[in-house]
Amino acid sequence: MLLIKNAKIYPVVGDMIESGQILIDDNGKISAIGQTVDAPADVNEMDLSGKIVTPGLIDIHTHVGIWGDGEGADSMDGNEKPDAINPKVNALDSTNPHQRSFEGAREGGITTMQIVPGSGNPIGGLGFACKSYGTIIDEMVIKNPTGLKGALGENPKNLHGNMLKHAPSTRMGTAGLIREYFEETKAYMAKKDAAEKEGKSFDIDMKYEPGVMVLKKEIPLRLHAHRHDDIVTAVRLCQELDVEFSIEHCTDGYKIADYLAKNNVLACVGPGLSNSSKVETADFTDANPAILHKAGVKVCLMTDHPFLNTRHFMVYGAVSARYGISFEDVLKMMTINPAEALGLEDRVGSLEVGKDADFLVYDGHPFSYKTKLEATYIEGQKVWEKPVY
Amino acid sequence: MLAVINARLETLTNGVIEEGTLLVKDGKIAELGADVKVPEGAKVIDAKGRTITPGIVEAHSHAGINEKGIGSAGSDANEGTSPITPWCHAKDGINMLAADFDEFREAGITATGVLPGSANLLGGTAVAVKTKNTAIVEEAIFAEIGMKSALGQNPKGKYGRANKAPSTRMGNAALLREALLKAQQYTNKKDAGEDVKFDKTMESLVPVMKKELPILIHCHRADDIVTAIRICKEFGLKYTLEHVTEGYLVVDHILENDSLCAVGPTMFYGSKVENRERDFRTPIAFSKAGVRFCFTTDHAVIAGRHLRTTAGIAVSWGMDRDEALKAITLYSARHMGQDHRIGSLEVGKDADFVIWSGDPLCFLTHADVTVVEGNVVYEREVL
Repeated sequence: MLLIKNAKIYPVVGDMIESGQILIDDNGKISAIGQTVDAPADVNEMDLSGKIVTPGLIDIHTHVGIWGDGEGADSMDGNEKPDAINPKVNALDSTNPHQRSFEGAREGGITTMQIVPGSGNPIGGLGFACKSYGTIIDEMVIKNPTGLKGALGENPKNLHGNMLKHAPSTRMGTAGLIREYFEETKAYMAKKDAAEKEGKSFDIDMKYEPGVMVLKKEIPLRLHAHRHDDIVTAVRLCQELDVEFSIEHCTDGYKIADYLAKNNVLACVGPGLSNSSKVETADFTDANPAILHKAGVKVCLMTDHPFLNTRHFMVYGAVSARYGISFEDVLKMMTINPAEALGLEDRVGSLEVGKDADFLVYDGHPFSYKTKLEATYIEGQKVWEKPVY
Repeated sequence: MLAVINARLETLTNGVIEEGTLLVKDGKIAELGADVKVPEGAKVIDAKGRTITPGIVEAHSHAGINEKGIGSAGSDANEGTSPITPWCHAKDGINMLAADFDEFREAGITATGVLPGSANLLGGTAVAVKTKNTAIVEEAIFAEIGMKSALGQNPKGKYGRANKAPSTRMGNAALLREALLKAQQYTNKKDAGEDVKFDKTMESLVPVMKKELPILIHCHRADDIVTAIRICKEFGLKYTLEHVTEGYLVVDHILENDSLCAVGPTMFYGSKVENRERDFRTPIAFSKAGVRFCFTTDHAVIAGRHLRTTAGIAVSWGMDRDEALKAITLYSARHMGQDHRIGSLEVGKDADFVIWSGDPLCFLTHADVTVVEGNVVYEREVL
């Protein structure tokens, strides 16, 4: 067992503890937290006087391990071509846990992440959630699948219309293909249900099984949308289909913040600190998370790694706070909000009894440029320590 | 006459002046200090105790020449039809009304080098521009800063894939040498008064051969850095190293050669094999060893407004805070050969400065007012 002592703790759920203790059991779970906790006599103690402890960060949308960080074209495994509707793939089967981006995630204080396929396809495949440390991806997974990825806007029409010379080549084409897929899925589901009722055999079609999960609200549809009209189209589509969903990126969200709040939309916002590399991201502003938050929209921050390097995730949080959000509220956008959005709030996202002991040790306030993230812990084990250059 | 009063002046070259006053005349800093009298009739800005630093300087950007947010329509940095295009000039590709310059003004960037891209071995002449509110590029340009060159993956990748030369690193070096050798001979003949036929490629390289203009060499990998230094020494050129991602592996060699380096975009990921080692090792190693360097975002690879974010992150890795601030102001100016004119708050230098809401390296700080040559080019709306 491990006892953390004398740390200033931001548990995210519950009040900040000026000088507190956390007891971690041998399974890497938090067994007690408070100003003082009862610990066995033979416990290993870690004195964190002068240090700040927060939960490990959760990156709700990233391409860590599938986007060839420093490895060139051979390891670009995010967008399966040429089918525009590609639900049968799972990002898990592209993910290389030895890629340096995993270490970058740990350096960035990210302990849990949702890895999703790219946005080249109107329906791009399944995403999953994993911890950021390990050798065998299957041992790192904590939930699979976590959602079906889809995309609106520039990317699908560029990849398919411009490069591959087939549909979709317009925004309405993209929406049309997504609608068509779910209509087919409904028909498939009806046949499957009927066969089940009648006790007849039924041939499973991998193309439609993820769609069934979405329609049965077992997983959400996670739709890439940057431009305000793409976001509104995403809301329209998902409301028509009566499915759970999230808006991924939500770059123009600040322009329609009240609409998103009214429709109870979950906004996964990022990549932060963007360079507006595309027309659909031209109006990017670092103030977006603050404006959405103030309008009452539930916000999760994302790196979309490599588009924001995972190493700088907390800097994204700090720059977002510049526009009027408190440290505690920003921290929620990087911990408990994504945990809830992934259905993992019983396991990660805050420092509470029974949850995984995933935490970060800072030598000062996490938003200060003078502060060092000293170490990242997953399930009580140190998985990254700041090197001295 | 403009007077900024009640300011905390971080001069960078002469310490910090508390409760100071800064006077501007004809776009230059006329006076600064704690006991400066405000002349009658001067326009007064009350800084209300806020910090003023020199304007942020981005030494290596593609602002307005690879315009952000408009896709391929704004992509004018690489004349990618031949690897040797020194006859191109950045001034002919810059859109001063591009959104990049709005971003720069809002971020307190008052000057930037605008460079051609890195697809070509010789890509064209780079210029330094002020972030003035103007559509006329001549009103913004204040210097030619160098001839852009590139080694490594980009040239050999672009042309090699099309089965043209260069297709290897040694091909890169050979073609660059060949162009420089011809330019040397062309320049010598001209200097000797011989009758030489005008050649636009050779003509554009004359200032490089005469050391009037440095050659700005894109190099990420350690061996590309060493090759860049080798070729420049062979021809006796003035030069700077651009990006220098693996510089930490060859610190002593760079130091021995006293090479000027623009390091970055340090916040970016390993987008190519040649920059896979990218992190803060190089700036920290340079800082410790005393290599002369500045930071760059390579805007819009990393958004230019996050140049100061980069400097802040460097401090978290152990760089001295004041050095980090200089590495985005004074040292960027030096990199462009313009530190006699910009980069610090000194009498006689251009009145390019920023009023900050707090410590300029703090991630929570806003640029409140940006001033270029005495004119307010941006003022934050405080709601």
